[in-house]
Amino acid sequence: MTLDELCKTVASCNSEGKTIEIQGGNTLRAFGAAPPKADVVISTTGLSALLTHEFHDLTCSTQSGLRLTSFADRLAKHAQFVPIDVPQRKKATVGGALASGWLSPRRHLYGRARDFVIGSQVLLADGTLVRAGGMVVKNVSGYDMSKLYVGSFGTLGIITQLNFKTLPQPQRRRTLIAKLPERTRTRAVAQIAASPVPPAAAFCVEGFRKSIDGEDGVDGRIVLLLEGSESLVDRATRDLRSALGRAGVPETAIIDTGAWESFERVLDATIASLGERSITYRALGLPGNALDTGTALRDAANEHELFTDVLIDIMNGDVFVRMSERDSRAFSEKIEACDDAIRKIAPRSVIAAGDAPIRESLNAWGEDPPGIAKMRALKTQFDPKGTLNRGRFAGGL
Amino acid sequence: MQRLIDALGADAVKTEPEDLSVYSFDAYSQGRLPKAVVLPAGTLDVAAAVKIAKDCAEPIVARGAGTGLCGGAIPAQGGVVFSFARMNRLLELDARNRRARVQPGLINLELSRQTAHAGLFYAPDPSSQKTSTIGGNIGTNAGGPHCLSYGTTVNHVLGLEIVDENGDVLQTSVEDTGYDLTGVLVGSEGTLGIVCSAWVRLLKQPESVRVWLAGFPDVETASEGVSAIIGAGIVPTALEMMDHLALELIEAAFHSGYPTDAGAVLLVESAGFEDDLQTYEAEIERIVRGAGATSWRSARSQAERDALWAGRKGAFGAAGRVAPNYYLQDVVVPRTKLPRALSAVETACDSRGIKVANVFHAGDGNLHPLLMYDRSNQREAAAVIDAGNEILQAAVDLGGTISGEHGIGYEKRGSLTRIFSTGDLAAMAGVREVFDPRRMLNPEKIFPAGAGCGEVR
Repeated sequence: MTLDELCKTVASCNSEGKTIEIQGGNTLRAFGAAPPKADVVISTTGLSALLTHEFHDLTCSTQSGLRLTSFADRLAKHAQFVPIDVPQRKKATVGGALASGWLSPRRHLYGRARDFVIGSQVLLADGTLVRAGGMVVKNVSGYDMSKLYVGSFGTLGIITQLNFKTLPQPQRRRTLIAKLPERTRTRAVAQIAASPVPPAAAFCVEGFRKSIDGEDGVDGRIVLLLEGSESLVDRATRDLRSALGRAGVPETAIIDTGAWESFERVLDATIASLGERSITYRALGLPGNALDTGTALRDAANEHELFTDVLIDIMNGDVFVRMSERDSRAFSEKIEACDDAIRKIAPRSVIAAGDAPIRESLNAWGEDPPGIAKMRALKTQFDPKGTLNRGRFAGGL
Repeated sequence: MQRLIDALGADAVKTEPEDLSVYSFDAYSQGRLPKAVVLPAGTLDVAAAVKIAKDCAEPIVARGAGTGLCGGAIPAQGGVVFSFARMNRLLELDARNRRARVQPGLINLELSRQTAHAGLFYAPDPSSQKTSTIGGNIGTNAGGPHCLSYGTTVNHVLGLEIVDENGDVLQTSVEDTGYDLTGVLVGSEGTLGIVCSAWVRLLKQPESVRVWLAGFPDVETASEGVSAIIGAGIVPTALEMMDHLALELIEAAFHSGYPTDAGAVLLVESAGFEDDLQTYEAEIERIVRGAGATSWRSARSQAERDALWAGRKGAFGAAGRVAPNYYLQDVVVPRTKLPRALSAVETACDSRGIKVANVFHAGDGNLHPLLMYDRSNQREAAAVIDAGNEILQAAVDLGGTISGEHGIGYEKRGSLTRIFSTGDLAAMAGVREVFDPRRMLNPEKIFPAGAGCGEVR
């Protein structure tokens, strides 16, 4: 669908009272609440043009339906990038990645994807196109409306175009992988967090055997992504290896060729689903509490006789726990009972993946955020008829 | 009035005309005399005072240190001014997670000072950082020289506690599910709510810092230098330009060590890891020399670096030596358009016989022409306003914007239509409608008044 067709379709649906479901690459469809069946499904993948890459200015502008890998490849021609890290990058679209508000494990270093948005064009429910921001890297002219559209799951408007500031690509990339014996975990994680040259991403993993590199066994493992200049990556390698050694971690393996793919496999694991017999919860928190939260969630699941795979983002504190069973019916019963325990530990944890039918009856977004009344008022203001992605977002937005 | 005194205490409410007068100004202009100034001691005081103001249908203006340059803090309709002079503390430092909770009246530089012992600092550093407050910085989404690589205030605010126009307290966090209220509240210039505390992100102090100074024959070649550095894929921590007149002003006032024989200089700072800085130093020198730099100097000590920065950050104050008044414009253009923007500034000022100095964030494309004049001379004052408008329009024509870090405030609200359509503004008005339906929070700011955009007032 072209932009023009999109505008007309949305305007006519809105005036006829038809509801619309918006899809990008459809990769995060199991993140949060499933949308109730809509009258019309709209895909943004027809909006796939990179509009400009002003590489001397370190800015670019793209239509929202462009696939993330195509977007990244185009920027890479001039050795630039935007740190948008979501699972399934080949299928995911730039607009979908931003609309979902998915948080990058590299954000402690580069900032959030939303911080790179310098302008946007959004199609509102009544069919009008509005712009926010511009093509300059600093801008305080009026409200920063892009902040509102980014991470709103299309419930306030359909993102049709995004302008970004870009970064020069790091010279070098490397992945370090090591086994992580239980007794070394706390110290190893503390060492990594305090490392003078921080890794671009750092994960503590238990399970996800087929998805993520490295031997798992009973110990779990650690996966580190290093980015920077040649000399800095070498220095970080030396520092981190010896720090991990001091913490009691045995051998650390170095991956240079395929370091990025190795990182992508971690991203993909965050939503890797076992179909109807798994659900993955994501709990956000502080780096200092992440290990404890991960352990508490795992223990709660194990108490309900569920299998678990755990992925902890050491630098940012995000915790992903996939709970599963061999049989989908048994799974549904157990997870329903376990959900209460999970919400006690992490009230605002969100269901990030999993196709078990039971998820319909669980509150996928967790406890409502404190600003829910204002958020509902915003939804009413922007989409009074509830045309766009109704019920898709937190608190039924 | 009595209700305010009953709720907050007599010390916390000012009503004497001479007190009120002080709070009717900011660094741009004067508004009306407020009916009262309140100095709340905490969130509950703020909430109580907002409820009283609402009952009395008095508009509310929250104010930091009043260093704003576009009239954002002036009480345009009088009403009740909220000063945060008593809410000025660092409430909580969470060094492990590199964050702090602060009250809005905390002075920007104090935050870095009070967290330095933990090896941390607060990155946004507007030139006013010795006096301006975190609350005010949040209101304008303040930038500063170092936001080239660190980003502006909004990139460093993790969550807010605000009091809304009803006097209700609301907590927001960037990690909450739901809409990013924090993101839209930052930079809303006090029109959506009153910030009572904020969680902010702190950064680890860099291992090493280098400051270099490159002299150029003129601003055009210096602009080439900027494009060449950025184009080579190097983003320094700060990349500032000063033209000849600015250098003379700074040297006369501060003796910072700037070369007064240069047509323009670039002040370049890189912070990070020693390994990288050595490479950068050689590379940046090669690039700027290739672009036409005639001199190159590396600050050898902390004292030398501090002196250079003191000159840069004090530049605007130094203008007082040349003219009784100055008008500071704030526009942004795409970085590669800097030479054209600078020549537009020159044309706008020369054609009106106005003296202009340029001291600005070149790496961001953020210009700050300083137009010097005498306010008592009506012809001069009018010429400066004309020139300012011409510069504004030139930036827009070059694909830029009308404010990069100072805000729209009272001054530029008529100009928002230069960059946004009625529809774009109506979307912003939709947000205002949710947070401040009666338009009582900092009225007559940001949005144009009058026909065409009546709904956006």
